[in-house]
This record gives sequence, C-alpha cells and structure tokens, in this order.
Amino acid sequence: MSRTSTTFTAAVLAVLTILTLHLPIAVSETTDTLQPGFNQAIVELRDAQSAGATPSELSEPVALLNKALELNREALKLSTSDEASERTELLAQVDQILTTVENQAIQLTAVSSQRKSMNEFLTYLSGAIAAILGTIVYASAMSLRRKSRIKRTFQMRVSRK
Amino acid sequence: MSFQSSRNRLGLIVVFITLLIVCEATAYAINLPQPRQPFFQFYVLGANHTAGGYYPMNDSNIYLREPITWYIGVVNNMGTVQLVSIRVKTSNQTIPPPDDQLGLESPAPTVTDFAQFLQDNETWEVPFVWSISNATSSSGATRILTVEINNQSYPATSWSASNGYNFRIIFELWTWQTDSNTFEYGWVTQETHSTAWLQVWFNMTSLSPH
Repeated sequence: MSRTSTTFTAAVLAVLTILTLHLPIAVSETTDTLQPGFNQAIVELRDAQSAGATPSELSEPVALLNKALELNREALKLSTSDEASERTELLAQVDQILTTVENQAIQLTAVSSQRKSMNEFLTYLSGAIAAILGTIVYASAMSLRRKSRIKRTFQMRVSRK
Repeated sequence: MSFQSSRNRLGLIVVFITLLIVCEATAYAINLPQPRQPFFQFYVLGANHTAGGYYPMNDSNIYLREPITWYIGVVNNMGTVQLVSIRVKTSNQTIPPPDDQLGLESPAPTVTDFAQFLQDNETWEVPFVWSISNATSSSGATRILTVEINNQSYPATSWSASNGYNFRIIFELWTWQTDSNTFEYGWVTQETHSTAWLQVWFNMTSLSPH
C-alpha cells in the first residue's frame, strides 16, 4: 500500500514538474541587476546637466539609455544555456550603447560648460554696458537740465511792482 | 568753472559705480541657479485617464480573466536625470503597506517592475492592463495563483484573502542611487529620505459572475 502511494506521489510530482516547465509563466524578476556602465552613464549625464546641457540635448542619450535598459531586461530573461550566446550578444550591445552614451555625455559637458561660461560672461558684460548707458543717460539729462535752467535765467523779465 | 566741472565728473563717477553695482548684482542673481524643491509625482489613473473608474462598471469586485486597465505615472521634478522603477506588489489586508514613518518598503512580494530613465520635468506613464488568470476558492479563502500583467503571466505567492475580500495591489516608487549602485525605495534629497507609494483595493468574492 505504502509502495503504491509513493509511486503515485512520484508520478504526480513528475507530471507537475513537466507542467511547470512548460507553462509560459514569467519569473518575477526586477531590474536590480544592471550592467556597471549604467551607473557611470547616469553620473556623466548628471554632470552634463549641471554644466548646462538642455533637455533637447539630453533627449538622445536618455533615449539610448532606455534602449539599453530594455536590452538588459531582455538579456536577464535568457537564463538557459541554449540562450547564453544570445544573452552575451545582448549584453555586448548594452555595453556598446553605454559607451556611446558616456562619450556623448562627456562631449555635452564640454560644450555646455563652455556655453555656460560664455553666457555668464555676456550677462556680466550686459550689466557693465547697462551701467555705462545709464551713466550717459544721466549725464545727458543733467546737461539738458543745466541748459534749460540757463535759458530760463536769461529769459527772465524784470517787472516793477 | 573748474570746480563745477570736477564736481560734475565726481557725480558721474558716483552714478556709474552705483549703476554698475546694481546691474552686476542683477547679473549675478540671473546667473544663480534657481532654488527648487526636488520631488517626484506618482499616480495611478483608471481606464479613462481619470482618478476614478478603476474597475469595469465601477465594481471593485472582480472575476477571473476580467481585464482591468490602469495607467501608472511618474513625473520627475528632481532637477536631474533619474532612473526610476515602479515595483508592483501583491498584498491583502494582513500584509502591511510601506512604512512612511521609517521609510521602509512593504514586505509584500514583488510581482514585476517597470524601469525607465527620466529627464527633468519628464512624465512617464505605463499602461497597466491586468487580470487574474488563475485562482482557487475553498474553505472561505480565495487564493490568487496567477496574475496577467500586460499580456505576461506572473505567479502570485501567498496572495490570498478571507472570502475574497480586501486584496490590494501596491505600487512603490524606487530610484537608482549612484552612491550605492542599486535601486532603493524612495529617493534622497539633501539627506532627507522621501517615499511614494500607491495602493488599489479589490475583492474577488467569486471566481465567475454567475
């Protein structure tokens, strides 16, 4: 009796195992496992942003990062030995994209920082020009005032009371 | 005449210096980065893109294979590029939600997550179409075994409720921390840890409408 029960349990377990292997159920995985290059890419992009890169300039590297993220996720899903080569290929693509993003970010940092310095210089220069113009306006106003006062003095009439 | 002229010149120099100080101070203020409070907005909308109508016919009692459409959104107002992750957790009345006081995530199991890089001021909205694809009901307990999210099946672990009442789906916002090189629950700004999470309740009192 006991032997029959053990055989039955083993058969049920075998069937369940086969069924589990063939069910199209996704494994609950999260994006915790990211290629190390992702972190560096984020740091580089933030540097570019601090240097003054505009949202339109950042849109391309950010889109590339999202593509890399998708490929990384696809690669994580490939876990069997048959899929190893495909996984390696995907991860190589991810690395390539990350390298491109890092290069773009470094270039953006250089360009944006130069542009930011120039903009700052121009703002301060505008301040100096505004001060000079203001002084000229003040001097002209004072000169006009003086002239009108002299004119008024000479146009005065002496009347007997 | 000479006294008058030097007095005028002195006056002009004083005016120029005053104007220069005022204009350069303005230029300095323009060049300063605008102070702002960094934060994320996190929301879940119903099928009509409104904060309502989360369930068909507004009935939160759902059945097997009944598709439900929500939209989960994140708005990045952090001032920098962010890598965010929305974690989907399956819970009930007994599994606690995230702890706002301690800033801790919910211990409920994670079914799946969605991750995306976001620029500053960018909004990211994920369609979340889900249904319960497999569940059992026995001895007054309903147990959800499989949930389908965006056409993909996920096994649900320990997702049961007494008489099918008070199931909930919890969405947590996680962000990538470059210091620790990992995703962390919530986000850190000026040494302050902030968190954002959402939950939507539902019942499954019977597996089919009839």
